[in-house]
Amino acid sequence: DALLPAPQNITILSTNMKHFLTWSPVIIQGETVRYSVEFQGEYEREYANESWIPICECSLITATVCNITEDISATVAYNLRVRANVGARRSEWGALKGFFNRITTSLTPPLMKVIADGYHLLVELEDMGPAFQFCVLYWKKGQESRMQQKVVKEVSSVVHLDTMEAGPDYCVKAQTYVEAINRSSSFSQTQCVRAQGGTSMWLV
Amino acid sequence: SGELCCSLPNPKNVHFESINMKNVLHWSAPEGTGDGVLYKVKYLVYGAGKWIRKPECRNISRTWCDLSSETSDYEEQYYASVKAFLNGMCSDWMETTRFNPLTDTKIDPPTVSVSSTEKSISIILTAPEKWKRSPEGESVSLLQVYPGLQYNVSVLNKKTKKRWFFSISNNTLVVPWLEPGTAYCVSAQIHITTPLLHSGFSKEYCIATLNDKTA
Amino acid sequence: LTAGNKIFHFGPCRVSISMTEIRSGFTAIKDNIQARDPIRTLSILSYPHSLHKVKSSDRCCVTHHLFNFYMDKVFKHCKTEDSYINRKISSIANSFLSVKRKLEQCHEQNKCMCGQESTEKFKQILVNYEGLNVTSAAIKSLGELDILLDWM
Repeated sequence: DALLPAPQNITILSTNMKHFLTWSPVIIQGETVRYSVEFQGEYEREYANESWIPICECSLITATVCNITEDISATVAYNLRVRANVGARRSEWGALKGFFNRITTSLTPPLMKVIADGYHLLVELEDMGPAFQFCVLYWKKGQESRMQQKVVKEVSSVVHLDTMEAGPDYCVKAQTYVEAINRSSSFSQTQCVRAQGGTSMWLV
Repeated sequence: SGELCCSLPNPKNVHFESINMKNVLHWSAPEGTGDGVLYKVKYLVYGAGKWIRKPECRNISRTWCDLSSETSDYEEQYYASVKAFLNGMCSDWMETTRFNPLTDTKIDPPTVSVSSTEKSISIILTAPEKWKRSPEGESVSLLQVYPGLQYNVSVLNKKTKKRWFFSISNNTLVVPWLEPGTAYCVSAQIHITTPLLHSGFSKEYCIATLNDKTA
Repeated sequence: LTAGNKIFHFGPCRVSISMTEIRSGFTAIKDNIQARDPIRTLSILSYPHSLHKVKSSDRCCVTHHLFNFYMDKVFKHCKTEDSYINRKISSIANSFLSVKRKLEQCHEQNKCMCGQESTEKFKQILVNYEGLNVTSAAIKSLGELDILLDWM
Protein backbone atom coordinates (compact mmCIF):
# COMPACT_ATOMS: atom_id res chain seq x y z
CA ASP A 1 0.00 0.00 0.00
CA ALA A 2 1.25 3.40 -1.09
CA LEU A 3 1.68 5.73 1.88
CA LEU A 4 -1.34 7.97 2.33
CA PRO A 5 -0.38 11.62 1.70
CA ALA A 6 -0.70 13.93 4.70
CA PRO A 7 -3.33 16.69 4.53
CA GLN A 8 -1.99 20.01 3.17
CA ASN A 9 -2.89 23.70 3.34
CA ILE A 10 -3.84 23.43 7.00
CA THR A 11 -5.11 26.81 8.17
CA ILE A 12 -7.13 28.41 10.92
CA LEU A 13 -10.18 30.58 10.39
CA SER A 14 -10.86 32.53 13.58
CA THR A 15 -13.50 35.19 13.88
CA ASN A 16 -15.15 36.50 17.04
CA MET A 17 -13.60 33.79 19.20
CA LYS A 18 -14.90 30.97 16.99
CA HIS A 19 -11.96 28.98 15.68
CA PHE A 20 -12.01 26.50 12.78
CA LEU A 21 -9.22 24.34 11.43
CA THR A 22 -9.43 23.66 7.68
CA TRP A 23 -7.32 21.69 5.22
CA SER A 24 -7.31 20.52 1.62
CA PRO A 25 -8.91 17.14 0.94
CA VAL A 26 -6.71 14.11 0.28
CA ILE A 27 -7.99 12.52 -2.93
CA ILE A 28 -7.71 8.71 -3.28
CA GLN A 29 -9.67 7.31 -6.19
CA GLY A 30 -12.51 5.07 -5.12
CA GLU A 31 -11.82 5.56 -1.42
CA THR A 32 -13.45 7.54 1.36
CA VAL A 33 -10.79 9.46 3.18
CA ARG A 34 -11.38 10.31 6.82
CA TYR A 35 -9.48 12.75 9.01
CA SER A 36 -8.55 13.03 12.68
CA VAL A 37 -7.48 16.20 14.47
CA GLU A 38 -5.34 16.69 17.60
CA PHE A 39 -4.23 19.76 19.56
CA GLN A 40 -1.39 20.59 21.92
CA GLY A 41 -1.39 23.57 24.23
CA GLU A 42 1.59 25.29 25.78
CA TYR A 43 0.92 23.34 28.97
CA GLU A 44 1.26 20.04 27.08
CA ARG A 45 4.52 21.19 25.52
CA GLU A 46 6.10 22.45 28.72
CA TYR A 47 4.66 20.18 31.41
CA ALA A 48 3.22 17.05 29.80
CA ASN A 49 5.93 15.62 27.58
CA GLU A 50 4.65 17.38 24.47
CA SER A 51 1.56 15.19 24.52
CA TRP A 52 -1.25 15.65 21.98
CA ILE A 53 -4.94 15.54 22.74
CA PRO A 54 -7.45 14.15 20.23
CA ILE A 55 -10.62 16.09 19.47
CA CYS A 56 -13.22 13.37 19.42
CA GLU A 57 -15.78 15.46 17.48
CA CYS A 58 -13.19 15.53 14.69
CA SER A 59 -12.10 11.92 14.83
CA LEU A 60 -12.45 9.97 11.52
CA ILE A 61 -14.58 12.68 9.92
CA THR A 62 -15.00 13.13 6.18
CA ALA A 63 -15.32 16.90 6.37
CA THR A 64 -12.19 19.02 5.88
CA VAL A 65 -13.05 21.47 8.66
CA CYS A 66 -13.09 21.08 12.43
CA ASN A 67 -14.54 23.45 15.05
CA ILE A 68 -11.79 23.70 17.64
CA THR A 69 -13.37 26.54 19.64
CA GLU A 70 -14.15 24.40 22.67
CA ASP A 71 -10.54 23.24 22.99
CA ILE A 72 -8.80 26.55 22.31
CA SER A 73 -9.96 27.81 25.69
CA ALA A 74 -6.86 29.55 27.01
CA THR A 75 -4.85 32.49 25.72
CA VAL A 76 -1.70 30.48 25.02
CA ALA A 77 -0.02 29.17 21.86
CA TYR A 78 -1.54 25.98 20.46
CA ASN A 79 -0.23 23.47 17.94
CA LEU A 80 -2.71 21.65 15.72
CA ARG A 81 -2.35 18.66 13.40
CA VAL A 82 -4.48 16.53 11.05
CA ARG A 83 -4.03 13.02 9.71
CA ALA A 84 -5.79 11.17 6.86
CA ASN A 85 -7.19 7.66 7.29
CA VAL A 86 -8.40 5.12 4.72
CA GLY A 87 -9.44 1.94 6.45
CA ALA A 88 -6.41 0.87 8.49
CA ARG A 89 -4.05 3.06 6.46
CA ARG A 90 -2.94 6.33 7.99
CA SER A 91 -0.97 9.28 6.66
CA GLU A 92 1.70 11.20 8.47
CA TRP A 93 0.44 14.12 10.52
CA GLY A 94 0.01 17.35 8.67
CA ALA A 95 0.71 20.21 11.09
CA LEU A 96 -0.45 23.81 11.15
CA LYS A 97 2.46 26.02 10.28
CA GLY A 98 3.31 27.94 13.43
CA PHE A 99 1.23 28.28 16.56
CA PHE A 100 -2.30 29.54 16.94
CA ASN A 101 -3.17 31.88 19.81
CA ARG A 102 -6.76 33.03 20.10
CA ILE A 103 -5.52 36.52 20.82
CA THR A 104 -5.27 36.84 17.03
CA THR A 105 -8.95 36.20 16.41
CA SER A 106 -10.54 38.88 14.26
CA LEU A 107 -13.24 40.86 16.05
CA THR A 108 -16.05 42.41 14.04
CA PRO A 109 -18.12 45.38 15.20
CA PRO A 110 -21.44 44.33 16.77
CA LEU A 111 -24.78 44.52 15.00
CA MET A 112 -26.64 47.28 16.77
CA LYS A 113 -30.04 48.95 16.55
CA VAL A 114 -30.64 52.26 18.33
CA ILE A 115 -34.18 53.06 19.43
CA ALA A 116 -35.77 56.25 20.75
CA ASP A 117 -38.81 55.36 22.83
CA GLY A 118 -40.30 58.61 24.02
CA TYR A 119 -37.47 60.40 25.84
CA HIS A 120 -35.53 57.20 26.34
CA LEU A 121 -32.44 56.17 24.39
CA LEU A 122 -32.19 52.39 24.01
CA VAL A 123 -29.97 49.97 22.13
CA GLU A 124 -30.49 46.45 20.89
CA LEU A 125 -27.28 44.40 20.53
CA GLU A 126 -26.53 41.10 18.88
CA ASP A 127 -25.85 38.24 21.30
CA MET A 128 -22.34 37.07 20.41
CA GLY A 129 -21.86 34.57 23.22
CA PRO A 130 -20.64 34.63 26.83
CA ALA A 131 -17.11 35.76 25.97
CA PHE A 132 -18.39 39.11 24.68
CA GLN A 133 -19.23 42.38 26.36
CA PHE A 134 -20.09 45.66 24.68
CA CYS A 135 -18.80 49.16 25.14
CA VAL A 136 -21.53 51.56 24.02
CA LEU A 137 -20.71 55.24 23.47
CA TYR A 138 -23.45 57.87 23.13
CA TRP A 139 -23.47 61.63 22.83
CA LYS A 140 -25.52 64.62 21.75
CA LYS A 141 -24.78 65.35 18.12
CA GLY A 142 -22.19 68.09 17.95
CA GLN A 143 -20.99 67.45 21.49
CA GLU A 144 -18.59 64.62 20.70
CA SER A 145 -16.32 65.84 23.50
CA ARG A 146 -18.99 64.91 26.07
CA MET A 147 -19.31 61.30 25.03
CA GLN A 148 -20.73 58.92 27.62
CA GLN A 149 -19.96 55.21 27.94
CA LYS A 150 -21.93 52.20 29.11
CA VAL A 151 -20.51 48.66 29.42
CA VAL A 152 -23.12 46.04 28.65
CA LYS A 153 -22.07 42.67 30.06
CA GLU A 154 -25.13 40.67 29.27
CA VAL A 155 -27.15 41.12 26.17
CA SER A 156 -30.84 40.96 27.06
CA SER A 157 -32.80 42.48 24.18
CA VAL A 158 -33.38 46.20 24.63
CA VAL A 159 -30.86 47.88 26.94
CA HIS A 160 -31.66 51.29 28.39
CA LEU A 161 -28.87 53.81 27.89
CA ASP A 162 -30.20 57.12 29.09
CA THR A 163 -32.96 59.70 28.91
CA MET A 164 -32.91 62.34 26.17
CA GLU A 165 -33.92 65.95 26.03
CA ALA A 166 -36.48 66.80 23.40
CA GLY A 167 -34.93 68.35 20.30
CA PRO A 168 -31.25 67.41 19.75
CA ASP A 169 -30.15 64.23 17.98
CA TYR A 170 -28.45 61.59 20.02
CA CYS A 171 -25.80 59.38 18.39
CA VAL A 172 -24.63 55.94 19.42
CA LYS A 173 -21.86 53.55 18.42
CA ALA A 174 -20.65 50.29 19.98
CA GLN A 175 -17.69 47.94 20.00
CA THR A 176 -17.26 44.46 21.44
CA TYR A 177 -14.78 43.68 24.22
CA VAL A 178 -13.41 40.19 24.93
CA GLU A 179 -11.90 40.11 28.41
CA ALA A 180 -10.23 36.70 27.90
CA ILE A 181 -7.91 38.23 25.32
CA ASN A 182 -8.29 41.84 26.49
CA ARG A 183 -9.10 43.12 23.01
CA SER A 184 -11.88 45.14 21.43
CA SER A 185 -13.41 45.28 17.96
CA SER A 186 -13.60 48.44 15.90
CA PHE A 187 -16.72 50.56 16.42
CA SER A 188 -19.98 49.94 14.64
CA GLN A 189 -21.52 52.51 12.33
CA THR A 190 -22.89 55.48 14.26
CA GLN A 191 -26.67 55.65 14.48
CA CYS A 192 -28.56 58.81 15.54
CA VAL A 193 -32.09 59.22 16.84
CA ARG A 194 -34.12 61.99 18.35
CA ALA A 195 -36.62 62.03 21.18
CA GLN A 196 -40.09 63.05 20.08
CA GLY A 197 -42.84 63.20 22.61
CA GLY A 198 -44.13 59.67 22.95
CA THR A 199 -43.24 58.33 19.48
CA SER A 200 -40.02 56.87 18.10
CA MET A 201 -38.07 58.79 15.51
CA TRP A 202 -35.26 57.44 13.36
CA LEU A 203 -32.53 59.67 11.94
CA VAL A 204 -29.60 57.96 10.34
CA SER B 1 -25.85 -0.36 68.77
CA GLY B 2 -24.54 -3.30 66.76
CA GLU B 3 -24.91 -3.00 63.04
CA LEU B 4 -27.88 -4.87 61.55
CA CYS B 5 -27.60 -6.89 58.36
CA CYS B 6 -27.51 -4.48 55.50
CA SER B 7 -29.63 -6.09 52.80
CA LEU B 8 -32.24 -3.34 52.52
CA PRO B 9 -32.18 -1.46 49.18
CA ASN B 10 -30.45 1.90 49.43
CA PRO B 11 -32.08 5.31 49.66
CA LYS B 12 -31.79 7.00 46.27
CA ASN B 13 -30.88 10.38 44.91
CA VAL B 14 -29.33 11.67 48.15
CA HIS B 15 -28.64 15.36 47.49
CA PHE B 16 -28.69 18.85 48.96
CA GLU B 17 -31.40 21.30 47.96
CA SER B 18 -30.15 24.77 48.84
CA ILE B 19 -31.87 28.13 48.50
CA ASN B 20 -30.17 31.24 49.90
CA MET B 21 -27.94 28.81 51.81
CA LYS B 22 -30.81 27.07 53.55
CA ASN B 23 -29.30 23.65 52.96
CA VAL B 24 -31.70 20.71 53.21
CA LEU B 25 -30.72 17.12 52.56
CA HIS B 26 -33.25 15.21 50.46
CA TRP B 27 -33.51 11.60 49.30
CA SER B 28 -35.96 9.11 47.87
CA ALA B 29 -37.14 5.99 49.68
CA PRO B 30 -35.48 2.69 48.76
CA GLU B 31 -37.21 0.82 45.98
CA GLY B 32 -40.00 -1.56 46.91
CA THR B 33 -39.95 -0.92 50.66
CA GLY B 34 -43.39 0.62 51.21
CA ASP B 35 -44.18 2.24 54.59
CA GLY B 36 -42.35 1.90 57.85
CA VAL B 37 -38.84 2.72 56.63
CA LEU B 38 -36.84 4.84 59.05
CA TYR B 39 -33.68 6.77 58.34
CA LYS B 40 -30.68 8.24 60.08
CA VAL B 41 -28.39 10.97 58.81
CA LYS B 42 -24.77 11.95 59.29
CA TYR B 43 -22.66 14.70 57.77
CA LEU B 44 -19.02 15.66 57.46
CA VAL B 45 -17.03 18.81 56.85
CA TYR B 46 -14.82 17.90 53.92
CA GLY B 47 -11.23 17.44 55.06
CA ALA B 48 -12.21 17.30 58.76
CA GLY B 49 -11.65 14.15 60.69
CA LYS B 50 -15.02 12.54 61.30
CA TRP B 51 -18.62 12.00 60.39
CA ILE B 52 -21.10 13.55 62.77
CA ARG B 53 -24.57 12.13 63.44
CA LYS B 54 -27.57 14.48 63.27
CA PRO B 55 -29.68 13.61 66.34
CA GLU B 56 -32.81 15.41 65.08
CA CYS B 57 -32.75 13.20 62.00
CA ARG B 58 -32.38 9.86 63.78
CA ASN B 59 -35.12 7.23 63.22
CA ILE B 60 -37.15 9.62 61.08
CA SER B 61 -39.66 8.50 58.47
CA ARG B 62 -39.58 11.69 56.36
CA THR B 63 -37.14 11.86 53.47
CA TRP B 64 -35.47 15.18 54.20
CA CYS B 65 -33.30 16.66 56.92
CA ASP B 66 -32.43 20.32 57.43
CA LEU B 67 -28.65 20.62 57.76
CA SER B 68 -28.53 24.41 57.34
CA SER B 69 -27.08 24.93 60.78
CA GLU B 70 -24.40 22.32 60.31
CA THR B 71 -23.41 23.63 56.88
CA SER B 72 -23.67 27.37 57.51
CA ASP B 73 -19.95 28.10 57.10
CA TYR B 74 -19.80 28.68 53.37
CA GLU B 75 -16.03 28.67 53.39
CA GLU B 76 -16.21 24.93 53.96
CA GLN B 77 -17.52 22.07 51.85
CA TYR B 78 -19.59 19.12 53.06
CA TYR B 79 -20.81 15.59 52.51
CA ALA B 80 -23.98 14.09 54.00
CA SER B 81 -25.11 10.49 54.12
CA VAL B 82 -28.34 8.57 54.78
CA LYS B 83 -29.02 5.00 55.96
CA ALA B 84 -32.42 3.26 55.87
CA PHE B 85 -33.84 0.74 58.37
CA LEU B 86 -36.86 -1.62 58.15
CA ASN B 87 -37.77 -4.72 60.13
CA GLY B 88 -34.27 -5.33 61.44
CA MET B 89 -32.65 -4.78 58.08
CA CYS B 90 -30.71 -1.77 56.92
CA SER B 91 -29.22 -0.27 53.80
CA ASP B 92 -25.73 1.02 53.07
CA TRP B 93 -24.84 4.59 53.86
CA MET B 94 -25.64 6.59 50.73
CA GLU B 95 -23.69 9.83 50.26
CA THR B 96 -24.21 13.14 48.47
CA THR B 97 -21.66 14.55 46.07
CA ARG B 98 -19.41 17.17 47.66
CA PHE B 99 -21.58 20.16 48.56
CA ASN B 100 -20.16 23.70 48.24
CA PRO B 101 -22.72 26.14 49.71
CA LEU B 102 -21.11 29.10 47.93
CA THR B 103 -21.50 27.71 44.41
CA ASP B 104 -24.26 25.13 44.83
CA THR B 105 -26.97 27.28 46.43
CA LYS B 106 -29.84 28.75 44.44
CA ILE B 107 -30.55 32.44 44.80
CA ASP B 108 -34.05 33.85 45.22
CA PRO B 109 -34.99 36.90 43.15
CA PRO B 110 -34.69 40.27 44.91
CA THR B 111 -37.75 41.88 46.44
CA VAL B 112 -38.90 44.88 44.42
CA SER B 113 -40.68 47.98 45.72
CA VAL B 114 -41.89 50.57 43.26
CA SER B 115 -43.29 54.06 43.66
CA SER B 116 -44.25 56.58 41.05
CA THR B 117 -44.68 60.25 40.38
CA GLU B 118 -46.28 61.84 37.34
CA LYS B 119 -43.37 61.11 35.04
CA SER B 120 -41.10 58.67 36.79
CA ILE B 121 -40.96 55.45 38.70
CA SER B 122 -38.53 54.67 41.49
CA ILE B 123 -37.42 51.12 42.13
CA ILE B 124 -35.78 49.79 45.28
CA LEU B 125 -34.35 46.29 45.23
CA THR B 126 -33.46 44.16 48.21
CA ALA B 127 -31.27 41.10 47.91
CA PRO B 128 -32.44 38.06 49.86
CA GLU B 129 -30.85 37.26 53.19
CA LYS B 130 -28.65 34.27 53.86
CA TRP B 131 -30.47 31.60 55.88
CA LYS B 132 -30.16 32.23 59.61
CA ARG B 133 -30.67 29.99 62.63
CA SER B 134 -33.46 32.04 64.17
CA PRO B 135 -35.48 35.14 63.32
CA GLU B 136 -33.56 36.99 66.03
CA GLY B 137 -30.28 35.90 64.55
CA GLU B 138 -28.01 38.37 62.79
CA SER B 139 -29.17 39.11 59.25
CA VAL B 140 -26.56 38.64 56.55
CA SER B 141 -27.50 39.87 53.08
CA LEU B 142 -26.32 37.81 50.13
CA LEU B 143 -24.73 41.07 49.02
CA GLN B 144 -22.15 40.50 51.76
CA VAL B 145 -21.60 36.90 50.69
CA TYR B 146 -21.25 37.79 47.00
CA PRO B 147 -19.61 41.22 46.71
CA GLY B 148 -19.95 41.17 42.88
CA LEU B 149 -23.75 40.91 43.09
CA GLN B 150 -25.64 42.96 40.48
CA TYR B 151 -29.26 43.39 39.42
CA ASN B 152 -30.85 43.09 35.99
CA VAL B 153 -34.10 45.09 35.94
CA SER B 154 -36.83 44.79 33.34
CA VAL B 155 -39.36 47.63 32.89
CA LEU B 156 -42.41 46.91 30.73
CA ASN B 157 -44.61 49.72 29.38
CA LYS B 158 -48.04 48.08 29.49
CA LYS B 159 -49.42 50.49 26.87
CA THR B 160 -46.74 50.09 24.21
CA LYS B 161 -45.77 46.57 25.35
CA LYS B 162 -42.12 47.61 25.07
CA ARG B 163 -39.68 46.17 27.60
CA TRP B 164 -36.40 47.83 28.61
CA PHE B 165 -33.51 46.27 30.53
CA PHE B 166 -31.23 47.97 33.03
CA SER B 167 -28.15 46.47 34.67
CA ILE B 168 -27.27 48.13 37.98
CA SER B 169 -24.86 47.50 40.83
CA ASN B 170 -26.55 49.57 43.52
CA ASN B 171 -30.07 48.72 44.63
CA THR B 172 -32.02 51.78 43.49
CA LEU B 173 -33.12 52.87 40.04
CA VAL B 174 -35.15 55.90 38.99
CA VAL B 175 -36.62 55.89 35.48
CA PRO B 176 -37.56 59.48 34.62
CA TRP B 177 -39.35 61.02 31.63
CA LEU B 178 -42.13 58.46 31.46
CA GLU B 179 -45.62 58.93 30.11
CA PRO B 180 -48.13 60.12 32.68
CA GLY B 181 -51.09 57.89 33.46
CA THR B 182 -49.34 54.80 32.14
CA ALA B 183 -48.88 51.41 33.79
CA TYR B 184 -45.35 50.06 34.08
CA CYS B 185 -44.45 46.58 35.31
CA VAL B 186 -41.06 45.95 36.91
CA SER B 187 -39.27 42.68 37.60
CA ALA B 188 -35.69 42.07 38.65
CA GLN B 189 -33.07 39.35 38.73
CA ILE B 190 -29.85 38.90 40.69
CA HIS B 191 -26.66 38.26 38.70
CA ILE B 192 -23.34 37.19 40.27
CA THR B 193 -20.22 36.85 38.11
CA THR B 194 -17.85 35.05 40.53
CA PRO B 195 -18.97 32.35 40.97
CA LEU B 196 -21.38 32.52 38.07
CA LEU B 197 -24.88 32.44 39.64
CA HIS B 198 -28.17 34.13 38.90
CA SER B 199 -31.67 34.10 40.32
CA GLY B 200 -34.81 33.88 38.27
CA PHE B 201 -36.70 37.10 37.58
CA SER B 202 -39.01 38.22 40.35
CA LYS B 203 -42.71 38.40 39.73
CA GLU B 204 -43.84 41.66 38.12
CA TYR B 205 -44.70 44.64 40.29
CA CYS B 206 -46.93 47.03 38.37
CA ILE B 207 -47.58 50.69 39.07
CA ALA B 208 -49.06 53.57 37.10
CA THR B 209 -47.51 57.00 36.71
CA LEU B 210 -49.84 59.70 38.00
CA ASN B 211 -52.11 61.48 35.60
CA ASP B 212 -50.82 64.72 34.09
CA LYS B 213 -52.48 67.47 36.21
CA THR B 214 -51.98 70.11 33.47
CA ALA B 215 -53.71 68.00 30.79
CA LEU C 1 -14.13 45.01 36.86
CA THR C 2 -15.92 43.10 34.20
CA ALA C 3 -17.83 39.85 34.24
CA GLY C 4 -15.44 37.04 35.17
CA ASN C 5 -12.39 39.19 34.56
CA LYS C 6 -11.12 40.23 37.97
CA ILE C 7 -8.35 42.59 38.91
CA PHE C 8 -6.74 40.71 41.76
CA HIS C 9 -5.10 42.96 44.31
CA PHE C 10 -2.38 41.05 46.12
CA GLY C 11 -0.89 44.00 47.93
CA PRO C 12 1.29 45.81 45.34
CA CYS C 13 0.71 43.03 42.82
CA ARG C 14 -2.26 43.77 40.57
CA VAL C 15 -3.12 40.99 38.13
CA SER C 16 -6.04 40.92 35.69
CA ILE C 17 -7.21 37.32 35.54
CA SER C 18 -10.12 35.91 33.56
CA MET C 19 -11.53 33.29 35.90
CA THR C 20 -14.68 32.49 33.95
CA GLU C 21 -13.15 29.82 31.77
CA ILE C 22 -11.26 28.18 34.61
CA ARG C 23 -14.44 28.05 36.68
CA SER C 24 -16.62 26.75 33.86
CA GLY C 25 -13.97 24.17 32.98
CA PHE C 26 -13.87 22.98 36.59
CA THR C 27 -17.66 22.97 36.97
CA ALA C 28 -17.84 20.67 33.95
CA ILE C 29 -15.61 18.03 35.61
CA LYS C 30 -16.16 18.66 39.33
CA ASP C 31 -18.54 15.79 40.13
CA ASN C 32 -16.54 13.33 37.99
CA ILE C 33 -13.19 14.21 39.55
CA GLN C 34 -14.47 14.46 43.14
CA ALA C 35 -16.17 11.06 42.72
CA ARG C 36 -12.71 9.60 42.01
CA ASP C 37 -11.51 10.82 45.43
CA PRO C 38 -12.84 8.44 48.10
CA ILE C 39 -11.06 10.15 51.02
CA ARG C 40 -13.57 12.49 52.64
CA THR C 41 -11.71 13.19 55.84
CA LEU C 42 -8.52 14.65 54.35
CA SER C 43 -7.96 17.86 52.43
CA ILE C 44 -4.81 18.96 50.62
CA LEU C 45 -5.54 22.70 50.61
CA SER C 46 -7.66 23.08 53.76
CA TYR C 47 -5.86 20.93 56.34
CA PRO C 48 -5.31 21.84 59.10
CA HIS C 49 -6.30 25.40 58.34
CA SER C 50 -8.48 26.84 55.63
CA LEU C 51 -6.90 29.09 53.02
CA HIS C 52 -9.18 31.76 54.42
CA LYS C 53 -6.88 31.97 57.45
CA VAL C 54 -3.98 33.23 55.27
CA LYS C 55 -3.12 36.86 56.04
CA SER C 56 -3.83 39.23 53.15
CA SER C 57 -0.16 40.21 52.98
CA ASP C 58 0.69 36.59 52.23
CA ARG C 59 -2.05 36.00 49.67
CA CYS C 60 0.06 36.76 46.62
CA CYS C 61 2.83 34.39 47.61
CA VAL C 62 0.42 31.57 48.49
CA THR C 63 -1.44 32.07 45.20
CA HIS C 64 1.81 32.05 43.25
CA HIS C 65 2.97 28.90 45.03
CA LEU C 66 -0.38 27.19 44.45
CA PHE C 67 -0.43 27.94 40.72
CA ASN C 68 3.06 26.45 40.43
CA PHE C 69 1.91 23.49 42.55
CA TYR C 70 -0.98 22.75 40.20
CA MET C 71 1.26 23.11 37.12
CA ASP C 72 4.12 21.01 38.45
CA LYS C 73 2.40 18.38 40.58
CA VAL C 74 -1.29 18.13 39.81
CA PHE C 75 -2.50 18.39 36.20
CA LYS C 76 0.08 16.00 34.75
CA HIS C 77 -1.00 13.22 37.11
CA CYS C 78 -4.70 13.55 36.37
CA LYS C 79 -4.91 11.79 33.02
CA THR C 80 -8.17 9.78 32.89
CA GLU C 81 -9.72 7.24 30.53
CA ASP C 82 -12.31 9.87 29.57
CA SER C 83 -11.23 12.09 26.67
CA TYR C 84 -13.80 14.76 27.54
CA ILE C 85 -12.35 15.04 31.06
CA ASN C 86 -8.81 15.12 29.66
CA ARG C 87 -9.71 17.97 27.29
CA LYS C 88 -11.23 19.98 30.11
CA ILE C 89 -8.15 19.39 32.27
CA SER C 90 -6.01 20.60 29.37
CA SER C 91 -8.19 23.69 29.11
CA ILE C 92 -7.82 24.46 32.82
CA ALA C 93 -4.08 23.74 32.76
CA ASN C 94 -3.46 26.05 29.81
CA SER C 95 -5.53 28.79 31.48
CA PHE C 96 -3.51 28.26 34.67
CA LEU C 97 -0.34 28.66 32.64
CA SER C 98 -1.30 32.11 31.39
CA VAL C 99 -2.26 33.19 34.93
CA LYS C 100 0.96 31.76 36.33
CA ARG C 101 2.91 33.93 33.86
CA LYS C 102 1.23 37.05 35.19
CA LEU C 103 1.89 36.10 38.79
CA GLU C 104 5.52 35.43 37.86
CA GLN C 105 5.88 39.01 36.66
CA CYS C 106 4.79 40.22 40.11
CA HIS C 107 7.19 37.78 41.74
CA GLU C 108 10.08 38.99 39.61
CA GLN C 109 9.23 42.59 40.50
CA ASN C 110 9.32 41.66 44.19
CA LYS C 111 5.65 42.46 44.56
CA CYS C 112 4.77 38.99 45.76
CA MET C 113 6.76 38.59 48.93
CA CYS C 114 6.71 35.36 50.88
CA GLY C 115 6.34 35.71 54.64
CA GLN C 116 6.90 33.08 57.25
CA GLU C 117 3.23 32.17 57.38
CA SER C 118 2.80 31.61 53.66
CA THR C 119 5.93 29.47 53.54
CA GLU C 120 4.55 27.38 56.41
CA LYS C 121 1.15 27.12 54.78
CA PHE C 122 2.60 25.95 51.49
CA LYS C 123 4.90 23.44 53.27
CA GLN C 124 1.79 21.98 54.94
CA ILE C 125 0.08 21.64 51.57
CA LEU C 126 3.08 19.70 50.23
CA VAL C 127 3.04 17.48 53.33
CA ASN C 128 -0.67 16.79 52.76
CA TYR C 129 0.06 16.06 49.09
CA GLU C 130 2.98 13.74 49.81
CA GLY C 131 0.89 11.88 52.38
CA LEU C 132 -0.95 10.18 49.53
CA ASN C 133 0.20 8.33 46.44
CA VAL C 134 0.79 10.66 43.49
CA THR C 135 -2.38 9.91 41.52
CA SER C 136 -4.68 10.10 44.55
CA ALA C 137 -3.02 13.32 45.70
CA ALA C 138 -3.28 14.86 42.22
CA ILE C 139 -6.94 13.87 41.75
CA LYS C 140 -7.77 15.16 45.26
CA SER C 141 -5.98 18.45 44.55
CA LEU C 142 -7.80 18.85 41.25
CA GLY C 143 -11.10 18.15 43.02
CA GLU C 144 -10.27 20.96 45.45
CA LEU C 145 -9.74 23.56 42.71
CA ASP C 146 -12.94 25.35 43.73
CA ILE C 147 -11.51 25.79 47.23
CA LEU C 148 -8.68 27.78 45.60
CA LEU C 149 -11.00 29.66 43.21
CA ASP C 150 -13.49 30.56 45.97
CA TRP C 151 -10.63 31.77 48.16
CA MET C 152 -9.13 33.89 45.40
